[in-house]
Amino acid sequence: MPEIKVTPLGAGQDVGRSCILVSIAGKNVMLDCGMHMGYNDDRRFPDFSYITQNGRLTDFLDCVIISHFHLDHCGALPYFSEMVGYDGPIYMTHPTKAICPILLEDYRKITVDKKGETNFFTSQMIKDCMKKVVAVHLHQTVQVDEELEIKAYYAGHVLGAAMFQIKVGCESVVYTGDYNMTPDRHLGAAWVDKCRPDLLITESTYATTIRDSKRCRERDFLKKVHETVERGGKVLIPVFALGRAQELCILLETFWERMNLKAPIYFSTGLTEKANHYYKLFITWTNQKIRKTFVQRNMFEFKHIKAFDRAFADNPGPMVVFATPGMLHAGQSLQIFRKWAGNEKNMVIMPGYCVQGTVGHKILSGQRKLEMEGRQILEVKMQVEYMSFSAHADAKGIMQLIRQAEPRNVLLVHGEAKKMEFLKQKIEQEFHVSCYMPANGETTTIFTNPSIPVDISLGLLKRETAIGLVPDVKKPKLMHGTLLMKDNSFRLVSPEQALKELGLTEHQLRFTCRVHIQDPRKEHETVLRVYNHLKGVLKDYSVQHLPDGSITVESILIQATAHSEDQGTKVLLVSWTYQDEELGSYLTALLKKGLPQST
Amino acid sequence: MTRECSLLLPRVCAALADPRQPSSDDTCLEKLLDWFRELAESDPTVKLMEDNPCLTEFITSVLALPEPSPSILSFTLRLAGILAASENRFQHLQQEQLLVRLFGRDGFLNSSLWEDASVRSGWVEGVHSMMHHQLALHLLCHGGGINMIFTLQGDPSLFVASAASQLLVHMLTLSVESETTKPLTTKDCNWPACARMIIKHIEDSLQSSSASDIEQSLKLLTGLFGSCRAAWTEVLWLGIAKQIESFLMEETVRAPHTLANLLLNMTWSPVFCDTEGSFWALVTSALEHLTPVEAGPLAVGILRLYKCPQDVRIQALTVLLQPMDCILRAASQPLEYAGLLDESVSDPITVESLLSSKSSCTGLLCQTLAHLEELLSLVLLPVDLPYTSLLRSLITILQFCNGFVNPTSPLGSTISRILVNCFRVQRSALDVLAALSERKGCDTLIENLFDVLLAYLESPNTSPTVLKKTFHATSKWLARLQELSCSNNQWQQTEKILKDVFLVLQKRLCSPCWEVRDSSLEFLTVLIKCLRDQDEFRQSLLSSEVPRLTENLLEDPESYVRASAVTAVGHLAFITYFAPESPVTWNHCNKENTVAKLQEILSTDQEGFPRRAVINIFTKWLRQGCTGQLEDTVQFVSRAIQTVEHDLDWEVRLGGLELVEVFCTQTICQLGLPKCPYAPVSSAVSPSLPQDESLQIFCRAKLFSFLFQSLCDCDKPVAQRACDILLALRGTFHPISTLKDSQGARDSPAGCGIAWLQRTLRQGSLAQNFPTDGANGVDFQDPESMMLALSTIDLEELHDELNKSSDHVEKSPQSLLQDILATVGTIKENEADCY
Repeated sequence: MPEIKVTPLGAGQDVGRSCILVSIAGKNVMLDCGMHMGYNDDRRFPDFSYITQNGRLTDFLDCVIISHFHLDHCGALPYFSEMVGYDGPIYMTHPTKAICPILLEDYRKITVDKKGETNFFTSQMIKDCMKKVVAVHLHQTVQVDEELEIKAYYAGHVLGAAMFQIKVGCESVVYTGDYNMTPDRHLGAAWVDKCRPDLLITESTYATTIRDSKRCRERDFLKKVHETVERGGKVLIPVFALGRAQELCILLETFWERMNLKAPIYFSTGLTEKANHYYKLFITWTNQKIRKTFVQRNMFEFKHIKAFDRAFADNPGPMVVFATPGMLHAGQSLQIFRKWAGNEKNMVIMPGYCVQGTVGHKILSGQRKLEMEGRQILEVKMQVEYMSFSAHADAKGIMQLIRQAEPRNVLLVHGEAKKMEFLKQKIEQEFHVSCYMPANGETTTIFTNPSIPVDISLGLLKRETAIGLVPDVKKPKLMHGTLLMKDNSFRLVSPEQALKELGLTEHQLRFTCRVHIQDPRKEHETVLRVYNHLKGVLKDYSVQHLPDGSITVESILIQATAHSEDQGTKVLLVSWTYQDEELGSYLTALLKKGLPQST
Repeated sequence: MTRECSLLLPRVCAALADPRQPSSDDTCLEKLLDWFRELAESDPTVKLMEDNPCLTEFITSVLALPEPSPSILSFTLRLAGILAASENRFQHLQQEQLLVRLFGRDGFLNSSLWEDASVRSGWVEGVHSMMHHQLALHLLCHGGGINMIFTLQGDPSLFVASAASQLLVHMLTLSVESETTKPLTTKDCNWPACARMIIKHIEDSLQSSSASDIEQSLKLLTGLFGSCRAAWTEVLWLGIAKQIESFLMEETVRAPHTLANLLLNMTWSPVFCDTEGSFWALVTSALEHLTPVEAGPLAVGILRLYKCPQDVRIQALTVLLQPMDCILRAASQPLEYAGLLDESVSDPITVESLLSSKSSCTGLLCQTLAHLEELLSLVLLPVDLPYTSLLRSLITILQFCNGFVNPTSPLGSTISRILVNCFRVQRSALDVLAALSERKGCDTLIENLFDVLLAYLESPNTSPTVLKKTFHATSKWLARLQELSCSNNQWQQTEKILKDVFLVLQKRLCSPCWEVRDSSLEFLTVLIKCLRDQDEFRQSLLSSEVPRLTENLLEDPESYVRASAVTAVGHLAFITYFAPESPVTWNHCNKENTVAKLQEILSTDQEGFPRRAVINIFTKWLRQGCTGQLEDTVQFVSRAIQTVEHDLDWEVRLGGLELVEVFCTQTICQLGLPKCPYAPVSSAVSPSLPQDESLQIFCRAKLFSFLFQSLCDCDKPVAQRACDILLALRGTFHPISTLKDSQGARDSPAGCGIAWLQRTLRQGSLAQNFPTDGANGVDFQDPESMMLALSTIDLEELHDELNKSSDHVEKSPQSLLQDILATVGTIKENEADCY
């Protein structure tokens, strides 16, 4: 029975790094190739040695698909393609292809800077990896090879994020990556066809949560920034170069405009221009509002937000600074944090998740005395705020997507086991489909029942219509023919054509049956009696008595002999071809009843 | 363990064992185990546990929980395993039967928690960690745990199954090596009890009718023969060889890949390499019976062996070369075929059928090509490959893939139909082609080869990835062609090929696809690097449009391309402006314009890659003595560092420091000091510069303000490099330790400034903060002040401080313990958050 196999190497009952292997109709696809930011050694990458026990990765995997540019979805890609040795195709959307190297480069710099690590991918490797990437458009069906095709759908979440449909023949899987079912300030809501896949692999970060409106969080954020600036304090917002930073920039820019605020806003990294450039370039991927206003004014051309210079950190007076990296683990954001931490008028807003070991994690967990290098103790007096702006679908959104796609099975990834368990039950109850949640390293096998399309030869079709059966789309119709399975395709043809195509000669198969009847007369007289009897019963058939003493009814042949031991018993040998099987068995049954007395 | 940590640990243990607390982040638990592993390995005594009774209490309290969380239970199992790795601590834990309760039959094996893969994984890892002594072996073998390990070999989790298999290998080795008293024979009774159990399990599984049982045992044996090379493995092998042999005789060989892996690992073991007869006969039989795809890895492994019977090697070579041979045969007319293999050893029917099927053709070819590349990339190849035929076969494959040939044979036309536009095969074939260029003996086909390569370079159907590989192969073969031309003086052919290559390159440099433009520029740079001394090459290149187009790409919209264009232009300069005698006049642009253009990119390009490329090229020029007279060089360096010192990209600043380092080394070399005997000397610098003069040069070039500011750079590699350079300079100017007391130096006005600088650096390098509002009286261009600065400032202390990883505080165990404690009691609103 055909089956689809799914093995998460990452994101199986966790929110670490996504890397999911899917086998569908003999094709092997890797969905995402993420990195775990919480580790500094090999554990940050998925263990690729489990992909195949035999042979090379490139021979085993047909393609890698990256859903979006976040590092927990693409961070291991250069390692995989340039250091582990995968040399096959990689697919992602155009914005993801453009933005991915910026984030990878950003992360590489931090890693190399912080630890002087050498066993890490280089800039050249990132570039070589990106050269292997095939960029795809939304809703474009991309043929990976003759059998495997993929198609991207809009996922919201971040610029360029996509869900992917993977299809081989009539079997299909949809992988959501991270998605958001409600539009936000700069992106639209996720959308997918009612494509009824055999399996929907969906993220489940907020499996049990119904999230409050993002507007409230935004209002809260603006209020806090405003209050701090009003009292003359400085606001530090550590961000990654792309994604949330742009969203918050739009938010502050419009607020500043509306309130006519004068305090400067800075963006600290040289990457801003490039990042904003991409947001402008891929304006079609943003939400409708941004697209509409684009004609009058480009939302990403900020009036109030200026490039930051290191010297500005010491300037007196209020200001807001967006600085990289996002978890306060090195570089500029940490440098500014050190300068400003001691003043209670200042504030740091962490707009995203921080892994253990970073200063961001420490201050979020309430630590206020931090040991810095050289045994210095940094006392954190500034206010610390956490605001989640991550754009994932909540429980309602996930259910909505399932309703939209109508999958036959659902598989949950990228979430916590307990929450998944709850959502799994809910999905099974509401949609009556099976729902799976494999842990990392566990394989889920889903049996599919694919309807296999078969081409019918014109000759056969004509023959069927000739006997008066006009095809009707609404009525299923039984057709007889010979099924040819050749070169991965199926065709139904007439037996004659099949013989011809396969170069075979015809053999005729006859069924035979012996019927004993009691008749003391001579053989030729018995035959005559049989002939007369059949002629009387089978009026519409051609019944003939041949000179050699046998009888034919259509293709059925009847011969009579006397029983070797009992001359009063005659043995009728009845034989027929498979075409006249019905008539053959009718005749046998008729003769078994014996001959009428009167004749 | 530090005092601070031992104070924090009891609270951490209590928090972890408290079921009311939300379970800790998995990474915290992993890192905690890393720390315990380090502690346990450094001291095998029970001190760790006696000093920290909270560890035992933690295990006890987790065992007492009615339903511990899977992650905490898994953590506890692994922790207990790490602690029990030494016999002393094992006994300490066993005083309360903790290990039996954790790992024994009555432990968690039957609870519902066992269904969680992380618990099973923790159990296996825990057992593996403690498996270093007989006590642990006995606990498992007599406590029933070993049967569980057998079962776990077939676990639904790949991680658990693989860990269980590795554990059994480890246990078997430990048991034999620590418990054997008599020499081992195939007889059962001589083996230690635990080893006997495992071997019986292997034997039973091999005889089982279940395919997965057989596969598991084969995997176990593969792991064993891969890791253990002791003599007893041969005794073990004798007991199972017949059974393994029987698998190969079956019509459809079961677990063929695992079987091939097993034999491969054995061929590498010294135990079997001298075995007469039977083992190698089995290997030969495997090579014969397995399909070419299954036998491929085994064949290539054998061909890497230096010591191996000749007939086995021939058989392996046959497996590997048969597909290539088949390709040649399929493309040739019957009479002209000069194949790769002797017909007496070749049995092409299977290979032919695989190659003529769409589903298996590309797989077999890709695998074969990958294996050939693997062999060809070895410096010393134990076998001789028929290079010319191999090259012919590769050319044929590439022609099939591009639809260049129409073979007349039915097999040929089937294969060519399958291979048309097959990128996978194209990529693999081009890789082998590049590797083959290193081997001598296939020069007769060079013209045909370049026909194919040029066709690939020209074809619009060539995908960017294939094109990149074609460029790579072309550059390798062009280098080879140059060597040949030198030896046989056939320049005409070379010139023609070069001309064609540059014509194609011109087109590719204008491709709408950035990947193609970038690969083209990289190709050009590689060519210049390896062929710049050849007149024919220079002439062909400079008479083409390539240099002009390359300069145009300095303004490409894609930053990767701009960076590659900078590198290519920088290398072009070596054969134009900087060449002692340029073969042709080259008027497109003059040197000053190019330098000004690159300088402009360095100061204005919005992105880091082109700027990094410029500073690297400048350094390269300086190294090669291309930057003109001394004053010109000083100006050149000075201008570059003033541009990069405020660059936002730390790698550009680092590149600036590299430039400074080269400049300093070259200048100091003129002092006649034996500092850099190998450094190329700029022709411009006059010999024997006095020491003072070189210091003045450095001051004039404004090196010191850049170096001292870099000491406080917020990006550590920059500060480290600056410190290294300053230390080297001090070594040059103060060869004997003449460090002055900064207090004493304060008397002079310069000394006052330097004392300030020293204070600033001490704080600055820690706070990563160099004052931006001036240098408080320090004159970085005054040689005397700088001499004083070098002698006064404690650069060693700075160096040590900077060399500490910048997250050494954050990744310390104390920080980890604090982080775990800090999350206790907090409602983890953001626990499932991510990016």
